[in-house]
Amino acid sequence: MQLKLFVLSASSVALWLVPLNMLDKKLDIHKAVQGLSLCAAIACAVSAGNIARELSEQGEIEAIKERAITADVIDEISTSAYISQQQRQQEAEAILNPVEHLERALALTYDEGERSEPIAQKQLAEHEQNCSQNGESERIMQLKAKGWGKAKIILEIWGVTKGGSPKYKAAEAEYKRLMQEGG
Amino acid sequence: MRAIHLANYFVAGCIASSLLGWVASLHPYAFRAVLCLLAAIACAWGLSWLLDFSLSKLLKISVADLQAILISGLAMLLIGLGVFLCS
Repeated sequence: MQLKLFVLSASSVALWLVPLNMLDKKLDIHKAVQGLSLCAAIACAVSAGNIARELSEQGEIEAIKERAITADVIDEISTSAYISQQQRQQEAEAILNPVEHLERALALTYDEGERSEPIAQKQLAEHEQNCSQNGESERIMQLKAKGWGKAKIILEIWGVTKGGSPKYKAAEAEYKRLMQEGG
Repeated sequence: MRAIHLANYFVAGCIASSLLGWVASLHPYAFRAVLCLLAAIACAWGLSWLLDFSLSKLLKISVADLQAILISGLAMLLIGLGVFLCS
């Protein structure tokens, strides 16, 4: 196809320039030949242009296909990476979540006998309380590091405004206790 | 390949201009007819430059493309007639 394109291009230029320069314009036969060669040159040039256009369109389609394939591959890789990351995160959460382990262990204990149920519930409650206290203690430390005052921290964590109410006093006592534990 | 495609159409335009010159050389009436045709083409060319924004919207091409077509049309005409007159 490309060979045909180049032959047609070269012949169009040759048919345009050679008869005009070589033949005599005063002779009728030469003039007729010039006209015919010019018509043939136009036909050759237009044909070559059409072939070149088809080839360039095919090239563009191939380029679009390649881009689409590349985009598909990238999408597939990113999806698989995202899924594996989620799996790893779930595994890590399963390892790092002691409450779940304790619950499982307690469920096994519960299966063994009903007598162990109150003990197990107590253990779970204690564990959850410890966790919440640790969380509160950490939160207090964070807020203190930010420069927050006591009243503001109590309001943030326990939701109690400053005053002489028993709720505020209880919260203040809890705050003091956690601060002493935290050191 | 796109450049070859455009170059071939450009050569076709040049040859068409030479053919116009050849037709003009056949007879005095043909010469006048070709002159009228060239005058009409010149008017259309100038109007196209004046109305390039409207024309580009009408033809749904960019203004830069339209201006490139107009310049290349003038170049085709000049090269084709120049080749015919110099031969």
